[in-house]
Amino acid sequence: MPLSIEEILETIRMTEVEHFDIRTVTLGIDLRDCSSDNLERLKKNIYDKIMRVASEHVKAARKVEMEYGISIANKRISITPLAIVADGYHPEDFVEIAQTLDRAAEELGVDYLAGYSALVQKGFSKGDLALIKSIPNALSLTKHVCSSVNVATTKAGINMDAARLMGEIVKATAEKTADRDAIGCAKLVVFANAPEDNPFIAGAFHGVSEPEVVVNVGISGPGVILRAVREAPEQLDMASLSDRIRRMAFKITRAGEFIGKKVAEFQNVQFGIVDISLAPTPMPGDSVADILKAMGLEDVGAAGTTAALALLTDSVKKGGMMATSHVGGMSGAFIPVSEDAGMIEAAEKGHISIEKLEAMTSVCSVGLDMIAIPGDTPASVISGIILDECAIGIMNNKTTAARIIPVPGKKAGEFVDYGGLLGKAPIMKVSQLNNQIFVNRGGQYPAPSRGQRN
Amino acid sequence: MNALKEDDIRKIAEEALRQLGQAASPETVEKVVKSTIAKMDGSNKDVVQEWKEVQAAQKPRKGERIIITAFGENQPGILAGLTTVLAENKCDILDLTQKLMQEFFTVMLLVDISDSSKDFETLKNALIKKGEELNLKVIIQHEDIFNAMHRI
Repeated sequence: MPLSIEEILETIRMTEVEHFDIRTVTLGIDLRDCSSDNLERLKKNIYDKIMRVASEHVKAARKVEMEYGISIANKRISITPLAIVADGYHPEDFVEIAQTLDRAAEELGVDYLAGYSALVQKGFSKGDLALIKSIPNALSLTKHVCSSVNVATTKAGINMDAARLMGEIVKATAEKTADRDAIGCAKLVVFANAPEDNPFIAGAFHGVSEPEVVVNVGISGPGVILRAVREAPEQLDMASLSDRIRRMAFKITRAGEFIGKKVAEFQNVQFGIVDISLAPTPMPGDSVADILKAMGLEDVGAAGTTAALALLTDSVKKGGMMATSHVGGMSGAFIPVSEDAGMIEAAEKGHISIEKLEAMTSVCSVGLDMIAIPGDTPASVISGIILDECAIGIMNNKTTAARIIPVPGKKAGEFVDYGGLLGKAPIMKVSQLNNQIFVNRGGQYPAPSRGQRN
Repeated sequence: MNALKEDDIRKIAEEALRQLGQAASPETVEKVVKSTIAKMDGSNKDVVQEWKEVQAAQKPRKGERIIITAFGENQPGILAGLTTVLAENKCDILDLTQKLMQEFFTVMLLVDISDSSKDFETLKNALIKKGEELNLKVIIQHEDIFNAMHRI
């Protein structure tokens, strides 16, 4: 069947009016073969390999943008969790490696390089601990490097020591980058059930079971879904509303898969997955919050918000799964506060609280994402927030995360503005009640019974 | 060679369909038909060579159909302007749809650029430049992206 003018105009409307784009094409690179007991050699190995393998990545992405007319917002790289590659080194050595990574990213022209990571859900190796301790310095001295630490899984439970430590690390990172409104924390995420093929930052890393090199794709299309929901009449029942979302999700996922395959093909690399998450941007109309409002809520935070978000996440997943056999990463709906104009507005008006956002994370794809809190919040409170997210994650068998930014010197109601895709964050109020005894208990939080599925 | 019988024509058509499937176009069909007739004729053409020719006939076409969409205020010469650029570069227009809503003009062209004298990017820039002269917004994309999004 030949294409109709309506179909062509629909695609053009998506890209030109509704901000549909590919959020990221992320090149995953295995770095395990770079290990060395000589720091200079290790740095050289890592630098050389990234420069060699990723040399065509940005060029391939640009070529695809040019030929198919769909823009790719970010070109990124993810690497093997560095704690594995550089196990045995000291925190100061890790910082040097971070700077090497940053130099490679800068020279290649990629937006971010992620995988300054450790997986410690059941305990620390020497390298894990050294990497975690180096995070504040590493993130303050680099521009493109992103870090993540997985502290819990459904199978292992929660590493309480890691959750406690990460509260302190988040605080320290904020203080190290205080002159830039704690931007370091925007590049640091604490995970439960972290996926190994996630193309999104800050949490991307190239898992150990991944191939040598792979291209993963993340799409961004809240504006497109928003139109589908807005055009629905008020009396339309839930199943039909879900159907509209699924149809749109199908189309944007197909575009995502196609673009990803082309970027992979142009640089002769294996294609991995499409992350069918809806990633918002601060642009007006490109907002997940606006979709929830269009479903019939006065604002995000109204009673019914969690139910609306669950319908959205599930419908996007169903449409996406029909569109591609390679679904991976987070695949749901992101609700980062600072990156979503509708969320920012709701937070400004006091319509959403961190508690409501926490409830929403039980049905969205990630967690408490890009949430700025007062700078004087104690580390134990941040650890407590991390634990709450981990509990939701391990109990519901899903990925959850915390990307919390305690902005030094700022109080609830003020703003921080990072510009670009990171957006503008209102400082949100957070409970300052004492939780130290609970957080400091340490040890291993036992795995839930649903982790035993054999 | 003797005149073709109905049975032969059917065989040729079946062979062409088998080899080309979705990629069928006048040029590729012609290639397959010629090689099939040659085979029926008993001429000893190398099978590998023949397959290569069919592949070669298909290859430049693969992904080399583009869709040009242009929007703007209606005025004489829009279509002439765009098609002149295409003609100068040996591009073949396969389909064309235009719509006029009040004063607003929309045109969509399906173009085969396999024999284009310029590469995609140069052609794209030439069309965009022409569009600017005519006060048009011109969008040029490979056809494949639309097929991916709108066809199951």
